[in-house]
Amino acid sequence: MSRRIGNAGELTALRDKLRSKIDLLGRHIRVCVGGGCIASGSLQVSAALRENIRKRGLDVPVFETGCLGPCSVGPVAVTQPDGVFYENIKPEDAAEIVDAHLIHGQPVERLLRRNDRTGSVETHVGDVAFFKRQIKIVLRNCGTVDPLEIDDYIARDGYQAVAKVVCTMSPDQVIDEVKKSGLRGRGGAGFLTGMKWQLTRKSPGDVKFVICNGDEGDPGAFMDRSVLEGDPHSVIEGMTIAAYAIGAQQGYVYVRAEYPLAVERLGRAIENAREKGLLGKDILGREFNFDLEIRMGAGAFVCGEETALMTSIEGHRGEPRPRPPFPAVKGLWGKPSCLNNVETFANIPPILLKGASYYASLGTEKSKGTKVFALAGTVINTGLVEVPVGMSLGDIIYDIGGGIPRGRRYKAAQIGGPSGGCVPRQHLNVPVDYESLQELGAIMGSGGLVVMDEDSCMVDVARFFLEFVQEESCGKCPPCRVGTKRMLEILTRICAGEGDEGDIEKLEQLGAIVKDTALCGLGQSAPNPVLSTLRFFRHEYVAHIRDKRCPAGVCAALVRAPCSNACPAGVNVPGYVSLIGEERHAEALTLHRERNPLAVSCSRVCFHTCETKCRRSTLDEPVSIRGLKRFMIEQQDGDAPAPEIRNSARNSKRKVAIVGAGPAGLSCAYFLARLGYRPEVFEASTRPGGLLVQGIPAYRLPRVYVAKDVRFVESMGVTIKTGQRLGHDFSVQDLKDWGYEAVFLGIGAPNGWKLGIPGEDAAGVEDALCFLRNYNENGTTDVGKRVVLVGGGNSAMDAARTAIRLGAESVTILYRRTREEMPAYQEEVHEAEREGVRIKFLAAVRAVVADNGRVVGVKCAQMALGPFDKSGRRSPVLTESPEFIEPCDQVIAAVGQAIDPSSIAGLDLKVNSSEYLDVDPKTGCTSVPWIFAGGDATSGPSSVVEAVAGGERAAVGIDAMLTGSVNAFWRQHAEVDTSFDPDADPVEVPRAPQHMVAVMERRRSFTEVELSWSKAEGLREASRCLRCDYRGTC
Amino acid sequence: MSKLTINDVVADVPDGCTVLEAARIAGIHIPTLCYLEEVQAIGACRVCLVEVVGARVLCASCVTPVSEGMVVRTNSPRVRQARRTVLELLLSEHDGDCRTCNRGEDCELQALAHEVGVRDVRFSGSPHRKQIDRSTPGLDRDTGKCILCRRCVTVCGQMQGVAAVFPQGRGFETVIGPAFEHSLSDVVCVQCGQCAAACPVGAITEHDDTDAVWAALSDRNKHVVVETAPAIRVALGECFGYKPGTIVTGKMVAALRRLGFRAVFDTNFAADLTIMEEGTELLTRLKTALVDKIDVALPMFTSCSPGWIKFTESFYPDMTPHLSTCKSPQQMFGALAKTYYANKVGVSPEDMFVVSIMPCTAKKFEAARPEMVASGVRDVDVVLTTRELGRMIKEAGIDFTSLPDETMDNPLGESTGAADIFANTGGVMEAALRTAYELITGRPLPFPKLHVAPVAGLEGIKEANVKLESLLPEWKFLEGVTLKLAVLHGLSNAHKVMDAIKEGKVDYHFIEVMSCPGGCVGGGGQPRFTTNEIRNARIAAIYAEDEGKPLRKSHENPAVAQIYREFLGKPLGHKSHELLHTHYEKRSRV
Repeated sequence: MSRRIGNAGELTALRDKLRSKIDLLGRHIRVCVGGGCIASGSLQVSAALRENIRKRGLDVPVFETGCLGPCSVGPVAVTQPDGVFYENIKPEDAAEIVDAHLIHGQPVERLLRRNDRTGSVETHVGDVAFFKRQIKIVLRNCGTVDPLEIDDYIARDGYQAVAKVVCTMSPDQVIDEVKKSGLRGRGGAGFLTGMKWQLTRKSPGDVKFVICNGDEGDPGAFMDRSVLEGDPHSVIEGMTIAAYAIGAQQGYVYVRAEYPLAVERLGRAIENAREKGLLGKDILGREFNFDLEIRMGAGAFVCGEETALMTSIEGHRGEPRPRPPFPAVKGLWGKPSCLNNVETFANIPPILLKGASYYASLGTEKSKGTKVFALAGTVINTGLVEVPVGMSLGDIIYDIGGGIPRGRRYKAAQIGGPSGGCVPRQHLNVPVDYESLQELGAIMGSGGLVVMDEDSCMVDVARFFLEFVQEESCGKCPPCRVGTKRMLEILTRICAGEGDEGDIEKLEQLGAIVKDTALCGLGQSAPNPVLSTLRFFRHEYVAHIRDKRCPAGVCAALVRAPCSNACPAGVNVPGYVSLIGEERHAEALTLHRERNPLAVSCSRVCFHTCETKCRRSTLDEPVSIRGLKRFMIEQQDGDAPAPEIRNSARNSKRKVAIVGAGPAGLSCAYFLARLGYRPEVFEASTRPGGLLVQGIPAYRLPRVYVAKDVRFVESMGVTIKTGQRLGHDFSVQDLKDWGYEAVFLGIGAPNGWKLGIPGEDAAGVEDALCFLRNYNENGTTDVGKRVVLVGGGNSAMDAARTAIRLGAESVTILYRRTREEMPAYQEEVHEAEREGVRIKFLAAVRAVVADNGRVVGVKCAQMALGPFDKSGRRSPVLTESPEFIEPCDQVIAAVGQAIDPSSIAGLDLKVNSSEYLDVDPKTGCTSVPWIFAGGDATSGPSSVVEAVAGGERAAVGIDAMLTGSVNAFWRQHAEVDTSFDPDADPVEVPRAPQHMVAVMERRRSFTEVELSWSKAEGLREASRCLRCDYRGTC
Repeated sequence: MSKLTINDVVADVPDGCTVLEAARIAGIHIPTLCYLEEVQAIGACRVCLVEVVGARVLCASCVTPVSEGMVVRTNSPRVRQARRTVLELLLSEHDGDCRTCNRGEDCELQALAHEVGVRDVRFSGSPHRKQIDRSTPGLDRDTGKCILCRRCVTVCGQMQGVAAVFPQGRGFETVIGPAFEHSLSDVVCVQCGQCAAACPVGAITEHDDTDAVWAALSDRNKHVVVETAPAIRVALGECFGYKPGTIVTGKMVAALRRLGFRAVFDTNFAADLTIMEEGTELLTRLKTALVDKIDVALPMFTSCSPGWIKFTESFYPDMTPHLSTCKSPQQMFGALAKTYYANKVGVSPEDMFVVSIMPCTAKKFEAARPEMVASGVRDVDVVLTTRELGRMIKEAGIDFTSLPDETMDNPLGESTGAADIFANTGGVMEAALRTAYELITGRPLPFPKLHVAPVAGLEGIKEANVKLESLLPEWKFLEGVTLKLAVLHGLSNAHKVMDAIKEGKVDYHFIEVMSCPGGCVGGGGQPRFTTNEIRNARIAAIYAEDEGKPLRKSHENPAVAQIYREFLGKPLGHKSHELLHTHYEKRSRV
């Protein structure tokens, strides 16, 4: 039994004695036994370590500590004093750790942390990126002390703050110090803690209470649990100080019953503190009594609301009561009560021991200190982190969290739990503090931070959180009970594809009223997830309601299969893939052409967003869908049956003009033809195909394939007139005068942006599209010996690879950010590099250096990545490194494209903020009712399949304008009769590799780079499809 | 005093009052729903929301304390929009077909929706969870109509100390009802009906028995008689637009005759009889204790209030011997109507049909108790509440206000002022004292107008001491004894007194208990809505009625004397033991 500590001197003496024991401690291992690590087996790991150490006759103690933080890689452990950090340890690894590390001094490398981005091994705790930017005040002891040993806590200055306070400070001085620290309540609302204490102290009454809110109920939050489990004494000490300050003798810790480990460890800590005389009567020999009891909550989320929590402690159903009166005046059993959450109390001892100014030196002007976050969701390092308040969200997610796994894009972070909101990509730079988050409609909350990538549907996310609060509502007030239910019903309908026009407005109205009228904080904040997603992701709601589409591919009722859903043209991917699997290639091609006529070209150049969403990637790798498409084209001989055409005598007489025979124009013409029109296409060039023939190099897309697609479109009843240049040979007004009732502008964005730097008028500077067009159309273009490409997009890659083939000695791409921010498709970047293209990252061009009017180099500045910009990428910022000159004799700018203003001169067409044509997202109609548009002219440089989608949309829009109804019969889901056994296990076949011509061979040639699959390869690949579209009864 | 501004009106209001109270002082009306003056202010329904300048969100005026200099707006666009939306939300979950709802004519929700200008319910969706509970004789519940205002929860839990109903489940699935979604008959519900009296909608109502009465009235083989409780005559008028506190005995009798009752009798007659029996019982118990020195249950409790009886049986089963063995006047009447009266008119008990009009839903339960068959068949066939009678009169097309005043039939229609005051708290005690005191002293009760002032009024627990001096010889054993009396109403007060008795903290001889606040005038079957103001008005009218009566002591009732002479013999005699006394059972709480 431990001896009671009689006074502050005895406490210090005990600390010194215990500390010297620790100092004498030689090598030892600390194994995390936080909830997460226990779940992944850390208790077995520590037992195995002890066992192996004993077997080898070593004297290395193994301690069990609270949460170290990186829960996703648990069990974790740290060896001391060398500070080696091990992750993902299994009991069977214990022998190797003991043998290699403890005996031979060689850390076991396979269990060390590897930085996903740099690939380097982070051996020591101090090297691990996850820990580097954290500052631990609340979690100061988590991962260090044994939560079951009060001596461990005392040795690390535990209870010294209590000693200081009760022996040397008056309650008012304590309150002043807490006020000076600027500490704000960490439970959510962020009320100044010192102020709350002062109010409670000032309230008249002999009996007062200190209450600790440990009813952490936000989905994904585990901050309080980790503190209670890892360092329970810090909470006890904080509460004791609060009791002294406000004049309370009794405290309660309200912990949810779902945290049995926290309850157990806290209970043990309270007992130990009592035995030592640190709780109870005459604490440290002073006339100060304080004791604590644990109250367990039955798991009602609303009990985290302070008034409901007190009602629950009183033994009633946990329901909030109106405030005022505030707990500080009339709290538990009507007595003044000071209520703070676990994290707030854990902050108190360091503040009083180290002084308020230390604490106040961290954080922002209005939000001081540190904040603990439970980092969860789609982020590489999930776990518990503590950072200074005001660190940017992007820094937390990317620097500490390691970014988004599987190369996905960050979409939003849900902060503050069900009461919080979502912070989108364009606000990644937001400092995480109370005010900044509130401005974005989120809240700091208790610190739940759930990261979401592009696979999250924001409507579904809002629905999830609303469903949670709806179920957890106490039911007392109608706004929360009924209002959130009605909102949930609307959201559920939207997700089920049954949303109506006006639903968004209803959600907004209702949300605003619920916020303004609900009885307690839970209800008042319940609409936040809906309102904040509406604020930043309104377009997703619109897509669900109007287009009956879930862009993220989540909402089951709207998503047949994730691949089809991701395809801008909506091609029935599993349908044609399964037909390929049955060698019914002609049918497969017809099915493909139902939604996308440019099947042949796409089989070469489609950037296959379908594959990024392929569910097979969760198993091994996505199905090679584009590879299969190419396989289908190659295997199919003879004519594929033509897709349905609905002949219409009336439509055939109406005149519709399409300007531009690029992907958008061809697609628009094709779909109009299927509705019985006889559209005519006006093409400036002599060869139809647009960018397919002018921009995309032949080594990616041999021209014969484009011709196949063009012939197919023509065969459906489309006339193409070449050599007809808009703005030169005719005007849009002419078309009207000639009797065309509708015009589609598929005019692309052919004008390259200028670099906007001094000297760019020098000879040898041109733009990428010009360069490509020259070669593709004329078969020849000037190319330098040393070529510099500026830009990181796909045209830069095309131009660079073309320059290599045209004999440039060196081709260098200058890009001002890093590889991760590049907009070009990674496979293109990869192939360019293989072919010898050099890429210099973080190099921003500042000027073109010319000699005698001819370019001789570009002056570049060395950049570094700074804060996150509106695109959600880190923006390049100038460094102090000296500028450098990249010598070259040709500069090709690939920094952006614009529409040709001469082609639309005289037309009053509205443009958007990027100067592209503004069209109705549903009909493709411009601001002039009979003029429609699609493709790059409306979106800027994009993909072929996006242009196909834009053409189809405009075709439907034109037909709707002319007939008054939507007749897009091809949009009906087409069933396929291929066989599928839902009970069969997925075939275990890896993704078929894309064969390519050897690099040395292709560098000087424009023959196609990619090679065919064998029949066996193709059929095997088709069998990998999981048939997510299958809806049969199992 | 605090100064505040409400809608540009500057008002000085007492410290500590709420914004709602302040608005009333300032003459500004704020609509309310869950709020119940003197009973409940919990800010749950969000109808009384107001804008307090400087507050982040709207505040419920019923719970927001006034602070100095506060600026309040009760009629801003924000407030109106919020109120209206709250009402729309309530209506969107409320499973209310107003055309058939029994609250159709005085539904507070409907009235409020009109008041705040709801013309269209913009939000629709699934209705509130519907559970229909007709498990008890007295009360029906329909959770589909419930708007979760919690008035019933508060009156049952806090006013009555019974807590039979409270919120179950969470979120939209929350329903108000007995624990674990049991039916009302499975839990301790005393069926006092205060919940039904407080319910703003038709979610808890009296069990409607009017059809059974219509059926009996049109059955040629039935001799249908009716008894009316003392508290009916002072409340029934409110169903027809009379001011609270209007006595309508004559029109009530006329209306009952027009409904087709063969005889209209008065429960008051049985009340006088109760005094004879209960007074004698008390004196007997005192004698047993003081003279015979035999252990006997004292204090003795009155037994007129059936909710109180069930309360004792459930919560204090060991204390049932303290209850007077006297049946309530309703049941005494039933037993006599089917024996003494039936014999007089030559009708068999089986063909005699007794309807009682009561202010009380627990009376329905009482009449259905299995032991209440002294006549060989069920003594009281149907119990109707005041509200049901009001509806029947309307359904029959009787123009109540133009009815002539008629008088009760005999022999069971004659009564004294002492019986009248059975209607209110303190009344049974006073009536008993008027008779008992005179019986043992030979002198009338020495109080002005015979009123026992300390036991009158609406205070929850009232006490009185009466010193007994110069007694008649046969009562000499009581000489010098101070009779300690207590009167309580509202069952939460019963908890306090019962616990005090168990703990030996108090020492009474006789205690009157009425379940409902104010006594039967505030019963669960009375016209809605009973505030203290209305209780006081009804009580004042009852006392006035008493004072206007020529006979004001039960033992002076000639019909009572006659029935003892002709039929019963003497109080506590063999016959009265058979017909007028009962026994109690011990009930468990679950």
